Amino acid sequence: MSDEKNQESPILTWLTIVTFLAAMIAIFIFVPTEQTEGAVQRIMYFHIPAAWLAFFSFFIVFLSSILFLWKKEREWDIYALASAEIGVIFCSLVLITGPIWARPIWGAWWVWDARLTSTLILWLIYVSYLMLRHQTDSGSMRARFAAVLGIVGFLDIPFIHFSVLWWRTFHPQPKMISPEGLGQGMDPSMVGTLMVSLGAFMLLYFVLMGQRIQVEKMIDEVERLKKEYLYSR
Amino acid sequence: MDNLGYLFAANVFVWGGIFYYLFRIKKKQQSLQNDLDLIKEVVGKGSKNE
Repeated sequence: MSDEKNQESPILTWLTIVTFLAAMIAIFIFVPTEQTEGAVQRIMYFHIPAAWLAFFSFFIVFLSSILFLWKKEREWDIYALASAEIGVIFCSLVLITGPIWARPIWGAWWVWDARLTSTLILWLIYVSYLMLRHQTDSGSMRARFAAVLGIVGFLDIPFIHFSVLWWRTFHPQPKMISPEGLGQGMDPSMVGTLMVSLGAFMLLYFVLMGQRIQVEKMIDEVERLKKEYLYSR
Repeated sequence: MDNLGYLFAANVFVWGGIFYYLFRIKKKQQSLQNDLDLIKEVVGKGSKNE
């Protein structure tokens, strides 16, 4: 098991640190201050990548859950659980940084518009997913229930994306992925900064996944050794 | 319209959240590694006695 512990990739870790440093320089030094919102607009360079990362994490939960139900291999269940936990962390950061930006811009921490409400629902679904993982006793039953919830929960994400297009909402319209094209309506330096920040967050996802998967594998190893020891007596 | 306090607060939450999560994972890994070492030691002693 100690071999598995040494599976951390130092290259990936250092690449993540360097990309985050580049992102910080771009966010706080390189990119110009937005004229109407001022410095607070820079929160978007954390808020948007955190949102994309949360959606990506839940997409991995969705895929892994399907593969787990199909192949019944514990490996896919581990990927789903690890990704769900990371997704909840980043969805929480979205729900925290959004209101911090909204307070000076809208004059309110929170409004019950379609985008905000559907994101909160997404967070609640995956918090329930994690609670389910800790509550149900039977291992295989728990994994199957969780997989179904992981698949159903993902259906909220297209709804979140299109909510600002279907209804009149307080939340700004998408500028990166818009009907006019990728990154249209944004200053190129802002698009570049957002891309570097997104790259840093994506690399962080893989670092966290590696670490979280290792925890689950160590738990399995402890359980296996305990059983082996008890049966041998 | 600068509102630097809000920008600072957002940064505190983002970095605080990321480092807290990493710290928790590392702590859990350490505790599991201790469990594994202990079990291996117990199993090793048991097989020697037999």
